[in-house]
Amino acid sequence: MSKRSQRAMTRRGFLIATGVAAMAAGLEPRRAVAQTPSAPPAPIPGKERLIVRSPRPINLETPLGELTAYHTPEDVFYVRNNYDAPVISPDQWTVHVEGEVDRPLVLRLDDLRKLPAITQDVTLECAGNGRAFHRPRASGIQWEYGAIGNARWKGCRLADMLELARVRPTGLHVAFGGADKPPTAQAPDFIRSVPIWKALERHTMLAWEMNDRPIPHLNGGPVRVVVPGFIGSASNKWLERVLIIPQEFDGPFMKRSYRAPRAEDDKETYSLQSLEVKSLIVAPAAGARLAPGRVSVWGWAWSGEGELTGLDVSTDGGKTWTPGQFVGRWDRYSWRRWEFGWDAPAGRHTLMARATDSLGRVQPSSRAFNPLGYRWNVIHAATVDVA
Amino acid sequence: MSRRRLAAALALAAGAAAALVPPPVPPVVLAQASIPQTDGWVLVVSRCVICHSVEIAVQQRQGPQGWGTIVDRMVTYGMPLEPAERRTLIAYLVRHYGDPEGR
Repeated sequence: MSKRSQRAMTRRGFLIATGVAAMAAGLEPRRAVAQTPSAPPAPIPGKERLIVRSPRPINLETPLGELTAYHTPEDVFYVRNNYDAPVISPDQWTVHVEGEVDRPLVLRLDDLRKLPAITQDVTLECAGNGRAFHRPRASGIQWEYGAIGNARWKGCRLADMLELARVRPTGLHVAFGGADKPPTAQAPDFIRSVPIWKALERHTMLAWEMNDRPIPHLNGGPVRVVVPGFIGSASNKWLERVLIIPQEFDGPFMKRSYRAPRAEDDKETYSLQSLEVKSLIVAPAAGARLAPGRVSVWGWAWSGEGELTGLDVSTDGGKTWTPGQFVGRWDRYSWRRWEFGWDAPAGRHTLMARATDSLGRVQPSSRAFNPLGYRWNVIHAATVDVA
Repeated sequence: MSRRRLAAALALAAGAAAALVPPPVPPVVLAQASIPQTDGWVLVVSRCVICHSVEIAVQQRQGPQGWGTIVDRMVTYGMPLEPAERRTLIAYLVRHYGDPEGR
């Protein structure tokens, strides 16, 4: 029996046995309707402050109020996993580079460390961040604000590794596969691809450090891809295979999901690449009660492939807008902190932030429905009471 | 199912799971979300959880078409589900986790 079919057999045995056992267990109580409200799932060790969107696979959202540091610390960095997170020893880790190359490679972490190292701050955001706000409701994990984080990544350029493999002119897309395997033989591997222009771009990297420490396994260590500016799912975790191919990878995570229509009534969808231009108000929090006087309004703004050109703030629910200021450190693909000094008069006020970028994009006041709930970058509003 | 067969099934599950990476579902996952125990709930806690926690399903709100699309995709991903069970499962999800604005 081949290894593959052995694995499939094992999985199938697991499926049937677990299903039957669970059903037997489930049938036991036989009570009338019990409308017990759901208790929140137990916190995940090491990530106790995060909202558990799912305990299996582990999906964790950062509460907006925890997004206070420019570098999002490991213990509050969001986790978006399609399948269970594999644990891989850095010593055992290898990556296979194959496909449209003259020199297929198998590299270890030590081999990558011999390439010129780069370090950069990159903001990663899940394409479905904000999905919970779509009406009608979109399917998928119901992220609100915090499927986003900014970290300092160290690694090597993907371009340098591809040069070792000598990509042929027919290699126009680069697909990444990770060690995160689906729970059934029929479910598809989580494989996604990026076009060669982005793979060769000097910021696109294979990273092994996050915030000056080895990347934690829930966030894709020992080695993950970081594709700055693109939706988070482009940055595959637990990398084990780099496949150079002539077209966009033909799999459901390219052809079915991570796609949206350009306009609501479009039949055709496009494959999402760049993040949207977007901003968040971190403080004051919605619902805050403030004393009249000077209030520091602040948050983060980012824009994927664009560069931020401005951040406007409204304190009257969007009737008038005043420029805020960008402050502090930033990098080409990081978020930027913005601030706005507000002389808050008594009353109820709705604060809003609106970012603009070099691609001419402005955060919108609404977003056309798309069934999978992507592209949510609607202007963030926070209503506060001053008394 | 007899006790012995159930024990054998559990042992098989444990043995098969040990051979897999990632590790098996911790039993606590089944207990974390309590869901209304009306017709169809057993399908959620026995079939959906083969691959993922109950939370993945019950945080969503979809109309009949939306839930139908999701359930059918899960069948292609290996969820065992007879046609009658499919109708029961979709009806359960729409009843408790429906979206009045959705399709």
